[in-house]
Amino acid sequence: MKNPEILMVDDNPADIDFTSEVLAQSEGHFHVNSVNDGVEAISYLRREGKYARAPLPDLVVLDLNLPRKDGCEVLSNIKADPSLAKIPVVIFTSSEANSDVSRSYKMGANCYLRKPGNLAEFVAAVQSMAEFWLGFASLPKRERQ
Amino acid sequence: MSVSCTSLPQPARSNGRSATTTLVTEEEERTAPAVAQGSGPLRVLLVQAEPADADLALCALREAGFEASADVAQTAAEFTRLVRKNSYDVILADYEFPNWNGMESVELLRREGQDVPVILVSGALGELTAVECIKEGAADYVLKDHLARLPESVRRALRERALRQENRQAQEELARSNRDLEQFAYVASHDLQEPLRMVATYTELLAERYQGKLDANADKYIHYAMDGARRMQKLVHDLLAFSRLGRQGLAIESADCNVVLQATLVNLEATVRESGAVVEYAQLPVVMADSSQLIQVLQNLIANAIKFRGVAPPLIRVSAEAQAKDWVFSVADNGMGIAPDQLDNVFVIFRRLHTRAEYPGNGIGLSICKKIIEQHGGRIWVESGPGRGSTFRFTLPVQSTTKGGYG
Repeated sequence: MKNPEILMVDDNPADIDFTSEVLAQSEGHFHVNSVNDGVEAISYLRREGKYARAPLPDLVVLDLNLPRKDGCEVLSNIKADPSLAKIPVVIFTSSEANSDVSRSYKMGANCYLRKPGNLAEFVAAVQSMAEFWLGFASLPKRERQ
Repeated sequence: MSVSCTSLPQPARSNGRSATTTLVTEEEERTAPAVAQGSGPLRVLLVQAEPADADLALCALREAGFEASADVAQTAAEFTRLVRKNSYDVILADYEFPNWNGMESVELLRREGQDVPVILVSGALGELTAVECIKEGAADYVLKDHLARLPESVRRALRERALRQENRQAQEELARSNRDLEQFAYVASHDLQEPLRMVATYTELLAERYQGKLDANADKYIHYAMDGARRMQKLVHDLLAFSRLGRQGLAIESADCNVVLQATLVNLEATVRESGAVVEYAQLPVVMADSSQLIQVLQNLIANAIKFRGVAPPLIRVSAEAQAKDWVFSVADNGMGIAPDQLDNVFVIFRRLHTRAEYPGNGIGLSICKKIIEQHGGRIWVESGPGRGSTFRFTLPVQSTTKGGYG
């Protein structure tokens, strides 16, 4: 895939910075856009207001614990919207609660990835997630923008 | 049928309930003050066929200074209706009854979930029967021709009930505070994970990128910060595991402890091999238990025996024997042993008896064992002395074993 676009939804600026950095340096030349809460995420995906010219992402990386609209709600909005439903959503969160894992999959998450607690694993998780979803996996064609 | 004595009786026997008892209205009955321990009138329920006996019993109480009001029940249905409606301090029951006997009231009260002392007030009650009645839950028995004993018997029954109630309250309080603590530990450790992950990850990033580029002190401080963050991550992780034990139900099934031990030894294979430990074991029973939790118990105990070894190569013996209603399991080692004043401390969460440099670990293993065993209705303790090795023993109830024998 050429110039794969990732939308990262996370209220933690450190994780956005570091994840973007890891992805930018990896071979896939992934491009990361980010928003910090659930309401912004939906505006971005529906390209409302200042996001009118934003590229539709090939992959959404979504935290669960978000201000204004939490990750589960964002997920259900995406999966209920015919124009967004086919975009794979990777849940990327600190929570290791079984209830969060199963709820996410039930609501249509494509993958649940826990943010690892140490640096090397964090880097490996981010890289392999991007390589798998944007390298190996076949994704639906991006719609004309 | 309701009777009440509110004034001192005439010092005479009466053949009916006329002289000393008067009927009370429903209203009075409902507004009768609830009797607190040792204050207000004593609420008595008489289970008596003979009204004269009821009067005599009440007189004995009043002569001893009790202000007593009483209802009378003559059938089981009446009895049940009254104990549901009113709260009594004591029940004075005849043993011999045409249709039922006083001991049935003990059973009825138990079914109603009420703790009201029942004192049997009866004619000739054989010694054996009396003992039987008390075994089955009567508070005491008083012979009809020794009614002078009744007041003291009532006082004692009231004291005992007050103690039982205090005890019950204390236990409920303890259970509630344990639940709160578990809830707190769970929430706290959950919410701590995110900020902790940040500290750990970015201190590591700092170390990776700037190690050797600042001065020697900076490197040292980064190292301290990383070490602290990692340790806290482990603590939070363990605390979560510990609090989950109380939150998740047990998967109780028939568990062959021989199989459980083999699974444990597979998990510990590397540790056993590297330490040159020898694990000996006898035939173990089949019990009703959550086998994955039993594996955890044996694994913690055997791993500890290896970790806290003495000079000689570790020798660990695992066995079980039936004692009364329990299986008593033993994990005995030839390790360094534990000082007598520390024997209870070893089961306290996060309590460590050694420095982290000597022996790594959080001090959570034995508290997990204790929690698991207690959840299975057992106890765990240790027998040891410095240089004598340690023997950890725990019990599992025999009645929960399936075959009642060795597996």
